[in-house]
Amino acid sequence: MKRSRYGWLRVVGIGVLLLWSLFPVYWALNTSLMTNAQAQSSPPSFFPTHFVFSNYEAIFGFGPSSASTAGGIGRALLNSSVESLGATVLTLVLATIGAYAFARLRFRFQGFLFYVVIATLTLPVYATLIPIYTILTKLGLVNTYLGIILVYTSGFLPLAMWIMYNMFQALPASIEEAASIDGATTLQIFRRIVLPIVRPGMAAAAIITFLFGWGQFIFPLVLGSTNSTEPLTVALSALSGRHVVPYTMINAAAIVAIAVPAVIVFFLNRYIVDGIVAGSVK
Amino acid sequence: MSALRRRAERAKTGRSQAIRRGRGETALPYAMVAPLLVFIGALALYPTVLTAYGAFVHNDALDPPNHFTGFGNFQSVFSNSQVRQSFENTGLYVVFGVLLSVGLGIFFGLLLQRRFRGRGIVLALMVLPWALPGVVEGVIWSWIYDPTFGVLNSTLKSAHVISTYQLWVGTHQIESIFFISLVQVWQITPLAAILVLASLQAIPSELYEAANVDGATTWQQIKRITLPLIRPGLAIAVVEGLVMSLNIFDQVYVLNAGATTASSLMSETYQIAFGNLNFGQGYALSLLATVTTIALSLLAVKLIYRRVEF
Repeated sequence: MKRSRYGWLRVVGIGVLLLWSLFPVYWALNTSLMTNAQAQSSPPSFFPTHFVFSNYEAIFGFGPSSASTAGGIGRALLNSSVESLGATVLTLVLATIGAYAFARLRFRFQGFLFYVVIATLTLPVYATLIPIYTILTKLGLVNTYLGIILVYTSGFLPLAMWIMYNMFQALPASIEEAASIDGATTLQIFRRIVLPIVRPGMAAAAIITFLFGWGQFIFPLVLGSTNSTEPLTVALSALSGRHVVPYTMINAAAIVAIAVPAVIVFFLNRYIVDGIVAGSVK
Repeated sequence: MSALRRRAERAKTGRSQAIRRGRGETALPYAMVAPLLVFIGALALYPTVLTAYGAFVHNDALDPPNHFTGFGNFQSVFSNSQVRQSFENTGLYVVFGVLLSVGLGIFFGLLLQRRFRGRGIVLALMVLPWALPGVVEGVIWSWIYDPTFGVLNSTLKSAHVISTYQLWVGTHQIESIFFISLVQVWQITPLAAILVLASLQAIPSELYEAANVDGATTWQQIKRITLPLIRPGLAIAVVEGLVMSLNIFDQVYVLNAGATTASSLMSETYQIAFGNLNFGQGYALSLLATVTTIALSLLAVKLIYRRVEF
């Protein structure tokens, strides 16, 4: 068999894949559990020997060494959570309702409007960054949760709509037709029959939207760079830009920002793969 | 993983019939799409129009008032050597980003094509870098690249690849861009791999069985069956890589820290608009970048995408 001849190649390949995918995160975790002296030792230690938690205490504002970092990570964690969750809920509700109308109902200008929504998928950040800043400044929404949630939602809606549209398209229409013949209204069909079936699709769209929100940087950098609204990404870049902050603490803050997506990836990976495929192939 | 196959099967069933509506429901579809359209209109389309218009207006906070200037903003940005450098840099980001992410994506996709024990876990771990914020990746890689205590330097030195510790990012243009690009490649490779994998799993196994019967080698099978049939997935992976690398900002912001050595078009635009407060020139660069992004995406799809029928 040819397969066995290449078997060792596959094992080596998987090893490379895992090392490449995990080492940087492992290295940050390793560094975050060390004292500064350990982290700067040569050759570097590949395992934390003492498990020092003072870096985590410091970035959250506890312990003796917290003064140098002002301990702002707790607030940034809250900001990231509020902004990402808010945008996820709003995006998912609007995208699901809109996608169903586009996928299953018929109305005037449907094709044109659908094309408009899909066309915005191709718009890069450049197209909207400066105007969104000026619009939000005029509305007084700079440095507010609401402003950031609205901007995130507008950015994530086209993709979420596209994912949900493909999920609805993939459903066999016969169930809905049967319900329609039995006298159910469109809204009843949507709420009672369709929504329960597409829950996995909604989970996929929600998870991808949440991860996008969690990773946002340039919009919150422009729209909310004070402690009251700045998310972890902005706080972390500010932390790493201040050269007095030791790398052990910066890596601890990075691990805090990594923890939430890492848990999601580990437990909900199936939905992510499904969502990526639904959002791009067609 | 069966989810991928299910999707592939679903895609073949095609679009289904529209549901018939009862009376008095004619307004319903509009009510359902209106909130979505209002959002996209107000915060995506309207801003895009403002960008296109603003590119032709002199708008400099340090030199008011605003006035129409024709192509004045474009002339200013093109005569700016830092901007021209960022064009060149972005070209390099695109080349590195697309080649490396798609190349690695094909490699990872092929590795995961056949079932084996633990494949689900490997796939989950592979997806991790895609799910992490670009800024966070920039931060953890900058520690790996650290010129004094970085693990890259110490590992390469003990392996005798380098004789002295290197400043990977910040001195040489191409070297800096390569190492910053590598961080982004780390982030977007999983996406390419998933797209390749999805296309791979749609290939009927009979094709490989027939090739085996005919005595084709593994390499011949990859070249003659696999690569031609994953073109649709590859097209999307190339476009995603293209758009991401044309827009590279987070990794540059963290690793390049405002230097021009490895500045990208986006970091230059950010600097001009929000550092120098020259919105007019910022708009001009934004418009150029938007048009380039869309044009290159369309071109890539046209070149690579070919409908595959089984």
